[in-house]
Amino acid sequence: MLSALFAIALSALVAPLFARRIGDRAGWLLAIAPLGSFIWFASCIPVVAGGGVIIESAAWVPALDVALTMRLDGLSLLFALLITGIGTLIVLYAGAYLHDHHHLGRFYAYLLLFMMAMLGLVVADDLIAMFVFWELTSVASFLLIAFQHESAVSRRAALQALLITGGGGLALLAGLILLGVVGGGWSFSELNADAIGGHALFYPIMVLVLLGCFTKSAQLPFHLWLPNAMNAPTPVSAYLHSATMVKAGVYLMARLNPVMGGDVGWSTTLIMFGAATAFVGAVLAIRQTDLKRLLAYTTVTVLGQLTMLIGTNTVYGLQAFVLYLLAHSLYKGALFMAVGAIDHSTGTRELSRLGGLIRYMPLTGAAVALAALSNAGLPPFFGFIAKEFKYAGLIEMGVAGWVVTLVMILTNALMLTAAGLVFIRTFLGREGNFPRHPHEVSLPMWLGPVLLAVGGFVLGAWNDWPEEWLVNAAVQSVARGEIDVHLYLWGGITPAVIASLVTVALGALFYGYRHLVRRYIALSRVYWNVSGDLIWDRLLKRLFAFASSIAVSFQHGSLRLHMTMMSLITTAVVLVAIIVSEENLLSGGVYSPINLPAVVGCVLALAGAAAAAVMRGRLALVTALGASGLGLALIFLAVNAPDVAITQLMVETLTVVFLAFVFRSMPRIPSVGARHASVRVFHAIISGLFGLAVAGALIAAVDHELPGDIAQWFLANSYPGGHGSNVVNVVLVDFRAFDTLGEILVVALSALGAATLLGGGKPSRLTDEGEPEFDSPLLRVGMRPFAIVLMLVSLVLLWRGHNLPGGGFIGGLVGAVGFILLVLSFGNRLARELMWTSPPRLIGAGLGLALIAGLIGIVAGEPFLTGLWFAPAGVKLGTPLLFDVGVFLTVFGSVMHMLQRLAGRVS
Amino acid sequence: MEIIAALTVGGLAAIGMWMLLDRNLVRVVLGIVIIGNAINLGVLTSGRFFGETAAFVSATHVPSDGANPLPQALVLTAIVIGFGLFVFALSVLKSVRETHGMTTTDFVTVATEEAAPDGRGDDAGERSDASVAKGREGPRA
Repeated sequence: MLSALFAIALSALVAPLFARRIGDRAGWLLAIAPLGSFIWFASCIPVVAGGGVIIESAAWVPALDVALTMRLDGLSLLFALLITGIGTLIVLYAGAYLHDHHHLGRFYAYLLLFMMAMLGLVVADDLIAMFVFWELTSVASFLLIAFQHESAVSRRAALQALLITGGGGLALLAGLILLGVVGGGWSFSELNADAIGGHALFYPIMVLVLLGCFTKSAQLPFHLWLPNAMNAPTPVSAYLHSATMVKAGVYLMARLNPVMGGDVGWSTTLIMFGAATAFVGAVLAIRQTDLKRLLAYTTVTVLGQLTMLIGTNTVYGLQAFVLYLLAHSLYKGALFMAVGAIDHSTGTRELSRLGGLIRYMPLTGAAVALAALSNAGLPPFFGFIAKEFKYAGLIEMGVAGWVVTLVMILTNALMLTAAGLVFIRTFLGREGNFPRHPHEVSLPMWLGPVLLAVGGFVLGAWNDWPEEWLVNAAVQSVARGEIDVHLYLWGGITPAVIASLVTVALGALFYGYRHLVRRYIALSRVYWNVSGDLIWDRLLKRLFAFASSIAVSFQHGSLRLHMTMMSLITTAVVLVAIIVSEENLLSGGVYSPINLPAVVGCVLALAGAAAAAVMRGRLALVTALGASGLGLALIFLAVNAPDVAITQLMVETLTVVFLAFVFRSMPRIPSVGARHASVRVFHAIISGLFGLAVAGALIAAVDHELPGDIAQWFLANSYPGGHGSNVVNVVLVDFRAFDTLGEILVVALSALGAATLLGGGKPSRLTDEGEPEFDSPLLRVGMRPFAIVLMLVSLVLLWRGHNLPGGGFIGGLVGAVGFILLVLSFGNRLARELMWTSPPRLIGAGLGLALIAGLIGIVAGEPFLTGLWFAPAGVKLGTPLLFDVGVFLTVFGSVMHMLQRLAGRVS
Repeated sequence: MEIIAALTVGGLAAIGMWMLLDRNLVRVVLGIVIIGNAINLGVLTSGRFFGETAAFVSATHVPSDGANPLPQALVLTAIVIGFGLFVFALSVLKSVRETHGMTTTDFVTVATEEAAPDGRGDDAGERSDASVAKGREGPRA
């Protein structure tokens, strides 16, 4: 089963390629996978018919106990055969139907993707896996309905189908999760009927699951998406929207019937909604003049009847369910494909323009005749047995059943009329007024309808065979207990036969007086004005209006309001948390002693920041900010963090240089803060509270003893494990190298992004040719040796970083500072020449080296980024050093890239 | 010492937020730097300052009073990333100034705002188009 899924998924992947290379003949090639799967499933029939179950399993998310378990029992097998069998015919049919379409490959891909999903849905044993396939079918259906996406009608229909089935899917997910929790297992075969039956959550589960099923299987009031979905190309309508996908909901109800069917609420709901859907569908079908829409509404009717039959839970009812499911897939698939052929051949699907087609399309006509007879429920077709059993099943239920039977007699009579319209009106009688001269269609297009229609006839006439091999096993999977399956065409004069006779008589009458019937239905126009589609459109419009009214109040476009909101919420959360925890702040935790240089640093940092907050001059701003950064560096140095201090110092230098470059062209800042004093006060309060919250959270944190001893672990393992004395560097390039890899990636990306934005403005010709930004003989003479020394220092810092302060980050920054001096005094060109290569290449090389350093570990059979060491001639080399070189190049390249874009441009 | 550092962090955060709320994008960019500094110091503070010596070890000697290396490593990379973020913000500031000729946040938002494709119909779109056009006409440097 897994290989069948895999083969079909693979076909979907290669479909576009095939279609491009060999055109519409690709269908024959692509049909191999479904056909092979069909044969495989057919070979499973003896095992499953004998009461066996075939199970295949593969771990999927072991941590969550989600497995991809496939379980093939009678019901799954029946569905799998329909999906792969009809699927094979549809693939062939589609090749002929869409043979000149330029997106045929894409169509095949969607279709096969759907087939894979649908097959997975019916064989999955795991609840969650089933749900994933369920959603995949919705997505594939969306893509297929919107296949002709140039048409707005198609797009609307696709969106409608997606929203309705997707919305139901959400409910279903909730229902399945509850089911798994309550039912004692996450697979269908593990669910425990006793645990679920009496549970308090039974009705919530039932409602949620049924919402999913009803939306998918187009039950009232969600039926409206299905007729609209007929905007899809005909192969899609035949396959998804009649034979397979819409039956997914029915499948799930049948699957859950053994565990949930014991409840009266379940039966009542299914019967009521099913019968109502069936009746409404039949009435609406008669009103249609488009053949395809007519068939769509009869599909709605059938889905309603299937739902109803599950609800009956009687011996005959469940047999009828399986029979009807099989019969309908066969004849409806045939009818849809035939309608597609008619459309293809004559150019119209309007009933009023069709007639007498049998002369031109004998094969298609014969197929339609057989399928329509089965549809009408006449003997000896499979549809007849299904109808007989349906009546018998309903009558078994007693008084309520009789009422439903009356509705069903009416419904089936209308179905018979519809079948008459499809065959008699279209193929017999006087010749229609066709837009194109009709012709018989090609082999792939008549093969499908003929095979399916003949299948419906053969299965009905020789009904021993399906009884023994297919129906029996399927009925047992749906039923709550053993059911004795016995099919027959003639069981003597029973109430069911009488009901059947009435149906046929009524149906013939309706067909004879079809114009009258239609006019009569049209009389109650009041009801048709309450169109589901109109309601849907209004609902959607309201929803969008509501959504945008919400969005507008939050996405107002003001940066300051966003900041205010964020700040206030953060502050509130933190302050409330501190108050609720009843933490006694400053209650005398153990603190380290006051460190005078650090205090000086704190004062400097605060004073610089405060000055930057109130000053207006550009130069003053830059200076104040620099002072604040220096204060921070002083703190870092004072608390024994030399690496951090050096990094801060270098970054501060670079910050000042970049600011100077950009601020040259900025105007003087006119004022500080908001225009109105009240707003300024408000902002000051917000900022003050925010600072209070941050300080409070931090004080609350340091009040406790530092949990764990990870610091000591790093200290103890740095040398033995990482061969380095500088613990901070070892942490960066060895113990937590994966984090660092992510971080240098961020640095690289922000540099690339910033450089793109900085590219604006005209490059100054002078600077490009080597003229400096700030010309000064002193700089020219003095800077050159100094810059070279800085470059060498950066390399030394990189090399010794593992044991002494330094490393890739610091080395890269120092190197960049050295180069900036060169750019400032000699212009961009010299820097470019000195660097040999462009900064983006350096960035790429750096990231590549870091990655290679990690991959070496994998090659050696260790996890990614494991440090490996060797010492040729007493020099210790290792992958962490290589990694550090990667960091160096990335940081250096990033800074240089941004700088080169910024320097020498006037805005 | 942790308390003093925590108060410094709070002060820096407050000043940073104040600058982020400014009308002028120049100051907003500087606010990003200051609030970034505050967070870096905060992370380091949460690792405590008990270390008497820097986090260096040798083959024979593991100091029992070494500084906590983990927050140092985190902050070291955070400083470099913060620099990347700062330059990005700076370049946004520069290109905003070049395209729209102004650096006040409210005007910038108006100039760049476009109606969502499924927005509230035509009037929203027209309004936004008009304001974009207005933004383009503004003074250029």
